[in-house]
Amino acid sequence: MQDFLGTVTGKTVKAGLRFRRGGGQALPGLVVEKIFPKYVRSMLSKLPDGVVFITGTNGKTTTTKMVVHLLESNGKRVLTNSTGSNLSRGIASSLSQHAKASGRLPFDIAVLEVDEAAARRLSEQIKPRWVLALNVSRDQLDRFGEVDTIADYIGAAMRAATEGVITNVNDPNLFTRAQKITEKEGTELHLFGSSSKLSRYFPNDYELAAVNLSKGASKGSTKNNVGVSLEDFNGNLVKYRIINENYESRLKVSGQHNYLNGAAALALGGNLMPDVEIKDLVNQLAEVSLAFGRGEKYRLSGGAVIELVLVKNPASFTQALASYGSAKANLMIAINDNIADGRDVSWLWDVDFAPLQTKIVALTSGKRAADMALRLSYDDIKTIEIENDLPNAVHKLADRKGDKVILATYTAMLQLYKLLSKHGEKVL
Amino acid sequence: MRELTVLHLYPNELNTYGDHGNALTLKRRIQWHGLEPTFVYHHPGGRLSDRADIVIGGGGQDSAQADVQQDILRIGDDMHALTEAGVPMVLICGTYQLFGHRFITNTGKVIKGIGVLNLETIAGQKRMIGNLMVKSDLGVLLGFENHSGQTFLGKDQAPLGKVRRGNGNNGKDKTEGARTNNVFGTYMHGPFLPNNPFFCDEIIKLAAINKYGDFQPRPIDDSLALQTRAGARRRKY
Repeated sequence: MQDFLGTVTGKTVKAGLRFRRGGGQALPGLVVEKIFPKYVRSMLSKLPDGVVFITGTNGKTTTTKMVVHLLESNGKRVLTNSTGSNLSRGIASSLSQHAKASGRLPFDIAVLEVDEAAARRLSEQIKPRWVLALNVSRDQLDRFGEVDTIADYIGAAMRAATEGVITNVNDPNLFTRAQKITEKEGTELHLFGSSSKLSRYFPNDYELAAVNLSKGASKGSTKNNVGVSLEDFNGNLVKYRIINENYESRLKVSGQHNYLNGAAALALGGNLMPDVEIKDLVNQLAEVSLAFGRGEKYRLSGGAVIELVLVKNPASFTQALASYGSAKANLMIAINDNIADGRDVSWLWDVDFAPLQTKIVALTSGKRAADMALRLSYDDIKTIEIENDLPNAVHKLADRKGDKVILATYTAMLQLYKLLSKHGEKVL
Repeated sequence: MRELTVLHLYPNELNTYGDHGNALTLKRRIQWHGLEPTFVYHHPGGRLSDRADIVIGGGGQDSAQADVQQDILRIGDDMHALTEAGVPMVLICGTYQLFGHRFITNTGKVIKGIGVLNLETIAGQKRMIGNLMVKSDLGVLLGFENHSGQTFLGKDQAPLGKVRRGNGNNGKDKTEGARTNNVFGTYMHGPFLPNNPFFCDEIIKLAAINKYGDFQPRPIDDSLALQTRAGARRRKY
């Protein structure tokens, strides 16, 4: 009865919202959740292939997109949550929109992208079959307190997993927790990672912050039985080693961190669909394109093309600089300090700006434009202009000759999307 | 060229959020003032450098603090001697707490500190997180705090300054940090030195005078820091 009423309530609220402009995505879910707190749990428990969680500091959105694509390519009907909208409400909204009034769901499986705090909360309500834990590094410590706290949150989700945990063998914080937890719970542990040859590309949180430590020195990935290993890459031609066989594919996504996300997605996809040939999964992975804020390009009406890259913590900023820092592009960096960005911008001082070979940043923008410029000045990088106002900064960037890239924190990125969609169009 | 040796305590264990920014700022400003910086790193179990003109230490997770606790007791006498000799130190969050007498955990366990600063810290339930503004003898200090330990100063222990916005040592008595001789402890983490360049220069000055008898500062363009400070003054907790 509750399922029926929940579904109808959600649909009714949504219908009422049609007359309002924009947004409103999470509202039906909020109403459903308030009235029927067990609605989400009850509905999700009906899915024949259950629920999986994808969590971690970086790469959740892209990896979720990859896993969903692998499942859909093999005929599975997948319920997933869209980025940005409040998680459990977003799920409740989505459920009530798609469910038949009988409460039946047209889905086989739910693949949910959950942030670390949500992973803990949600696992009290929903038992996931698998938890895929990607990595943990310093992020939003003004919200979470400590890195250990974040890892503990993920640990809570790992404990709730009914079949097992898939995690990154190169992330000691997650790997040691996953080992203990799966041993105690009697669940399976599957690992993905990168070959020792590539370890310098993937410093963990400790290595990012440590001094006098050659990057990758503490890695021991070869000792453990890694299900999917990112062996090597050349451009976006990527080599994976999966259960002692080599596979090669040219991916649509670029960036070494996305190749590692691909390894994670293959590990989860392989476990969810043991009957599908691994070769097919690798080919399907190649078709996935970029997720939100991972290098989309916009062409403005004046003709200028601007590429957008999300930076949200030292790890993702370091990755962005590895990908864009050596190019001669005009760089703009937009830093906000809203709650979703992190109110404390100390993390900018944990980023190594050495890869920025031009030693020049065209513009810094956002609420913390001056803090960014100050940070750069201590690495002898000159900021040509500080422009707090994002629209003004974009216009100034557009006027510059040559390639243009904006690195932006989360809320700055949302603002930029609106702005660039209004004054231009996305380049495919 | 005149040289200053900076002893960085436990850089791999105590480095939460931006502590390397302080090391970097110190390094660059020493250079900008025409001196040569040398950094030496002290790791748990390692031999303590016999040269130190400036000592710095950062904040850490509670788990990391336990790792260094044994080691800091081992070098406690050396830190007392450096304090007596007037060596300037900048101690942030975790290191600041370990330079006090003790840290009392949630379960009542006592973690012994080295007592260079006359203070003790008691684990709190609530984390104090936000923008901190402090009035000190050297000027207004601006930073960000993120700690659950509540620090209480002992009798006659001078604070670093008085809290104008935020919680500071404990959220109760309006004190923030501590100062004994040239040892400065504070909860302002991250870019504390770049946002308070006059404080950083004071540390360099104290070290240079200790070692060479005088210090000739060179002009540094701090217009960017003036901008970040103006923003920080306006910011809410």
